[in-house]
Amino acid sequence: MDEKRARFEAEVLPHLDAAYRFARWLSRGPGDAEDVVQEAMLRAFRAFGSLRGSAPKPWLLAIVKNCHMTALSQQQRRAFVPLPADDEVQEEEALISAQADPEQASLQRDAKRTVDRLLSTLSEEYREVLVLREIEELEYREIAAVTNLPIGTVMSRLARARAALKACWLREREANPHAMP
Amino acid sequence: MQCPEALRTQAYFDGEVDALAASEIERHIESCAACRELLQELERTRAVLRSAVPHLRAPAVLRARICAALNKESSSDPSSQQRLRARPAARRPFWLGAASGVSVSAVAAALVMLLVLPRFNNPLIEDVVDAHIRSLMPDHLIDVPSSDRHTVKPWFAGHADISPPVADFAPQGYRLIGGRSDYLDHQRAAAVVYQHGAHVINLFSWAATGRALPSSTTRNGYHLLCWRASDIDSCAVSDTGWDELKGLVRLVQDLNVNDHPETAPGKAAE
Repeated sequence: MDEKRARFEAEVLPHLDAAYRFARWLSRGPGDAEDVVQEAMLRAFRAFGSLRGSAPKPWLLAIVKNCHMTALSQQQRRAFVPLPADDEVQEEEALISAQADPEQASLQRDAKRTVDRLLSTLSEEYREVLVLREIEELEYREIAAVTNLPIGTVMSRLARARAALKACWLREREANPHAMP
Repeated sequence: MQCPEALRTQAYFDGEVDALAASEIERHIESCAACRELLQELERTRAVLRSAVPHLRAPAVLRARICAALNKESSSDPSSQQRLRARPAARRPFWLGAASGVSVSAVAAALVMLLVLPRFNNPLIEDVVDAHIRSLMPDHLIDVPSSDRHTVKPWFAGHADISPPVADFAPQGYRLIGGRSDYLDHQRAAAVVYQHGAHVINLFSWAATGRALPSSTTRNGYHLLCWRASDIDSCAVSDTGWDELKGLVRLVQDLNVNDHPETAPGKAAE
């Protein structure tokens, strides 16, 4: 294995899960997300020389975002598939089975589904900044780099996204008080 | 009811302000009910999102596809050699700067990890990583699901050529979830499976055949730590961080000291 490949594996490949999660939130289904991430990883590998000491995670996520935009412009818009698909949840939980308390696990699953659904009802712009900040824990300037927005816009969009999620959440809780986390 | 300082309060919440601005904002929050409420909402939203959004992982099949694509790319990339030669010169100022600080040994260690070990082209290591990836496919992880070492350890007697150290380290965060047998280095190897958070750690053990192993390396994004004790080669593989992986290895090695694993021919035990 050559040095470039080894360094790429040590610095960039550990962020594959983050890239996949981000792509899942952006795109319309697991298959699309996989194609986007594979393309992004290849592009990242080719452009690895340009990374030069900056943080690999936002750099990779920016490439994922670009690949997503390219894919989007190439394909017809399809209906958004909320994340995660049911079969995938089961697969993941089978992997880490032996839950101590099945009832607890089922409650957690319900709560997760609800939040997924709420997030998926937000606009893509809101969902993107929320996921980058709260799930991937990126800093403002990193989110700005990934989304190609000025920092001021990142801040105001994040504030609106959080308010929108809270509003959805309150509506949902009124309608269905037991299914909420 | 939206305070004009709301964005600054949000920036404070997100850890994006310096100490001076933070103390200003804290003073403001004391006197502004709207911002106090906002801060609570922000905390609430974060807690809900972080607890409920699944930590999805890239499917093993995707990882394998990407590695295959990278292999193809590496072998057909004539410019990579050129870029390789150009890089050390470009990076020199960084290393010089770092080396003048206190972190000389850390830099040396990082250099060893980045430059020396990954070059170690070792088919056995590739086999171990393949076995780990295969184990992550649905229904491949565990042959004997149990968190009881008295169930897992005897199971290996009939299914592997050695008897590996087995213990549940749930209090330390490494839950024993079962065992599996794999074929490595021309023998039936034991894989003890631990779960750490959302991560699976496979701990492979097999009778040492004298093949050299790197003590630590990264392959396809997975970290590996290998060691030899009492004629048994062991290798822990996971996508956790190094510290988490080292934590488990230390626990297992301590176990080794107290409880010497013996080479137990599987045939005799059957």
